[in-house]
Amino acid sequence: MKNNIIILGGGQAAIYAAIEIRKNDTESNIKILGEESILPYERPPLSKDFLLDKKHEEDLFFHSSDVLINENIDFDNVSINKVDFENKKLFTKNDNVYSYDILLISTGSENKKLCLDDNLNNDFYYLRNLEEAKIIKEIVLNKNQITIIGGGFIGLEIASSLSQLQKKVTVIEIGNQLMGRIIPKQIADLVQNTHIEHGNEIILNKQIDKIIKKNDIYEILLNDNSLIETDFVIAGIGSTPSIKLFENTNLKLDNGIVTNQFCETSIKDVYAAGDVSNFYHPLYERNMRLESYQHAQNHGICAGKNISGVKTEYTSIPWMWSDQFNLNLQLTGICDDYEEIIERGSEINNGVIYFFLKNKKIRGACGLGILGKVGRDIRITTKLIEKNTIVDRQILSDQNQKLNKLIPKL
Amino acid sequence: MSEENWIEVGSTDSIEEEDLIRFDHQDKTFCVYRLTDGFYATDGICTHEEVHLEDGLVMDDEIECPMHQGIFNIKSGKALSPPACVDLKTYPVKVDNDKIFIKID
Repeated sequence: MKNNIIILGGGQAAIYAAIEIRKNDTESNIKILGEESILPYERPPLSKDFLLDKKHEEDLFFHSSDVLINENIDFDNVSINKVDFENKKLFTKNDNVYSYDILLISTGSENKKLCLDDNLNNDFYYLRNLEEAKIIKEIVLNKNQITIIGGGFIGLEIASSLSQLQKKVTVIEIGNQLMGRIIPKQIADLVQNTHIEHGNEIILNKQIDKIIKKNDIYEILLNDNSLIETDFVIAGIGSTPSIKLFENTNLKLDNGIVTNQFCETSIKDVYAAGDVSNFYHPLYERNMRLESYQHAQNHGICAGKNISGVKTEYTSIPWMWSDQFNLNLQLTGICDDYEEIIERGSEINNGVIYFFLKNKKIRGACGLGILGKVGRDIRITTKLIEKNTIVDRQILSDQNQKLNKLIPKL
Repeated sequence: MSEENWIEVGSTDSIEEEDLIRFDHQDKTFCVYRLTDGFYATDGICTHEEVHLEDGLVMDDEIECPMHQGIFNIKSGKALSPPACVDLKTYPVKVDNDKIFIKID
């Protein structure tokens, strides 16, 4: 059957869903509505190789416009400001109307903003999209003392890049460890040491009381009365799902758009995928919302399959990475629901991994190592989680023993 | 095909099945794999970012980069999964008297 399929949001989940739908459905119209004027692109390099001038705009696109033309996928650069689920219509500011038979919402997430002084709102910078990355890249050229508010992934990756550009960087984190939302303290402390070794200042457990602008300098006053002078402020204080458009509709929302394991929302023929979706994970038997590259890709593909009639459960094990200096951090599964922790390795040169176990099975693992040193073990761990394997603790804790031994043979 | 271009990598028992070793020659670095049906060779560095594939995971005919899980077919070099999108260069391999050789152009 020929449908009008609209994908609202022009990021990674959108493009992977569109390509997947086309694989299974050569007839339907597929249209992506994106708020950015450019085709879907990779975001991970923005805070790293793009700032370091090792990757450029043209290196970031998932697919060229030729691929979209060949796949018969339309892309409109447009902003939707009203949704009518009952009549299956989307409206632009100018009251242009898009009608759909099936809608996929992949509007992603957006930065939380600092609420300190309304007069300074335009003085603080954030990094989520290419435009913001371009602005930061240009402005930092002439800045030296840079303060990053928020010690999460994005803040630390920017701190790593700017340090490599010989900037003096200070990171202020309100919590008692870096990356506290999902990374275990043991790993966070190793990352912190590396930042300090490279000259970055890390301030934990401090709140910002106020920021005062004096000429081109900002004075940041902390709650212990200490003062930091800086000439550029970047904030990375978390994100929220982009759901404003749906707040007064009957779409079920709860920390994002609630979806089942098939990417279906509470409204028939409306799906959601990627950062915006709070989805049910059958293996963990709970809902979760993830913001990661792998999830955006795989969830988009899963939504694409279900939209095109290939009923598919989303069972992907959460996996993410962060690259800072010459370190590669990886996390698989979930690390906040466990009875026991097992450590593998003790030196980041060879990689350090913490496994989080419950009922003798791994629920999640987090590793840190120079470049790719933890990747293979983390990948095998993902397989062990997928297969719900009871693991031998002794092998897990001994870096001289290969983890493949733990994978059950068919 | 001239014989001079075949470079000795090591003995066949230096690689376990479904595994790989790193091989450096002059200023280049390679990965040499032992799969169930024989030996194969590719460039050693992932085409996505500068990381050596020696720490990657070999699964069937595929090598997965340890940094960002880009996947390549070992036999064809084809990039199979993002973020890898550029194919990996492959090299001919032969085994002679339990020694592995790769042909570097």
